[in-house]
Amino acid sequence: MTKKQKFDENGDSEDLQALFDSIASGDSPQPKLEVVSVSRKVDVPDGDDDALQALFDSVAAEFGGDDVAPGAAAADAASAPAVAAASGSPDAVFNRIGQMTRQVHDTLRALGCENVINEAVQAIPDARQRLNYIAVMTEQAASRVLNATDIAMPLQDKIAADAVGLEKKWDQLFANQLSVEEFKALAGDTRKFLASVATSSIATNQQLMEIMMAQDFQDLTGQVIKKVVDLAQTLESGLLQILLEVTPEEKRVPIMTESLMNGPVVNAQGREDVVTSQEQVDDLLDSLGF
Amino acid sequence: MSDPKMKFLVVDDFSTMRRIVRNLLKELGFTNVDEAEDGVAALQKLEAGGFDFVVTDWNMPNMDGLTLLQRIRQTPQLKHLPVLMITAEAKKENIIAAAQAGANGYIVKPFTSATLAEKLQKIFEKLGKQWVA
Repeated sequence: MTKKQKFDENGDSEDLQALFDSIASGDSPQPKLEVVSVSRKVDVPDGDDDALQALFDSVAAEFGGDDVAPGAAAADAASAPAVAAASGSPDAVFNRIGQMTRQVHDTLRALGCENVINEAVQAIPDARQRLNYIAVMTEQAASRVLNATDIAMPLQDKIAADAVGLEKKWDQLFANQLSVEEFKALAGDTRKFLASVATSSIATNQQLMEIMMAQDFQDLTGQVIKKVVDLAQTLESGLLQILLEVTPEEKRVPIMTESLMNGPVVNAQGREDVVTSQEQVDDLLDSLGF
Repeated sequence: MSDPKMKFLVVDDFSTMRRIVRNLLKELGFTNVDEAEDGVAALQKLEAGGFDFVVTDWNMPNMDGLTLLQRIRQTPQLKHLPVLMITAEAKKENIIAAAQAGANGYIVKPFTSATLAEKLQKIFEKLGKQWVA
């Protein structure tokens, strides 16, 4: 193209145009070649016809394709693409790939899948983060609760043990088995015990509060879980649509998952292959003779 | 035969569950409890000796509870060990597979302390009878 522009600038444009017009209407290959010969003539002083022809031949052989193009373009413009498409040339292949890509794209768009896929690509890392958040929060809560019970249980155990000990002594007192000195000691122990019950109760209460506060994860994880569930639903329906669209009828066989590691049964409704209570476990084992 | 000094190995990949089972065992009077986080770690501890009872989860990384149970039953010095499975796996074929592999008890999560006490009691009774016979 750049070559052609230069050619136009350098050449005598009026003459050239006139010549071009005559050639275009003539529609024969020979005059086309003379377009080039005229342009070269400008650069060649006092050349005669033979020398010119020889020069022309060599130049035409060298630049033939490019220089002929302007003339050929006018005549063959309509037929050229058809020829390319009909033959098995690389152009035709690219053309078809392009058409198919467009088709797939349009189909996905028509199905509303484009949005689904875009959303999925963006949402999956987000969902992963959210699920991690849930794992961290619930683990923290479990640790807090277990720590609280670790602190509170020994306090309660001590109160219970001390109470049992004092009760025995009081039983002895009422059975007239204690001396005055022993009674005085019992009175002192009982007084200390009552004080310790008050202190322990406060401490135990603190741990009960801690257990209560540890449940705050439920509000946070509940919201996060809801978002992830919504995402999973959107994804599922989108992917299902795509699958239904691209899977041939004969390939649609139900997938059987035969695994012994499925985790908790989240929805046992209508399922015959799972147990829903410890009684059912025991009954099953009994029925098998274990 | 429920000797309070008997040594338990609690196998679960979640530390929370290990702590809960440990606390429940303590409530039942069993204070000699060790923990392992999967079947591989459990088998190492068991092979070192000294354990009287195994409580294991099913679904764990590296080695799952069923494989652990099978390995225990295949190992001469371990095969007598009582194994109680506490797991969320609730399919009938899971329960049957565990029983066939030689589990002494099967508890489905979530479970109560009463269930654990009952199953332990039942296992001790059966073992006691076996020893008498």
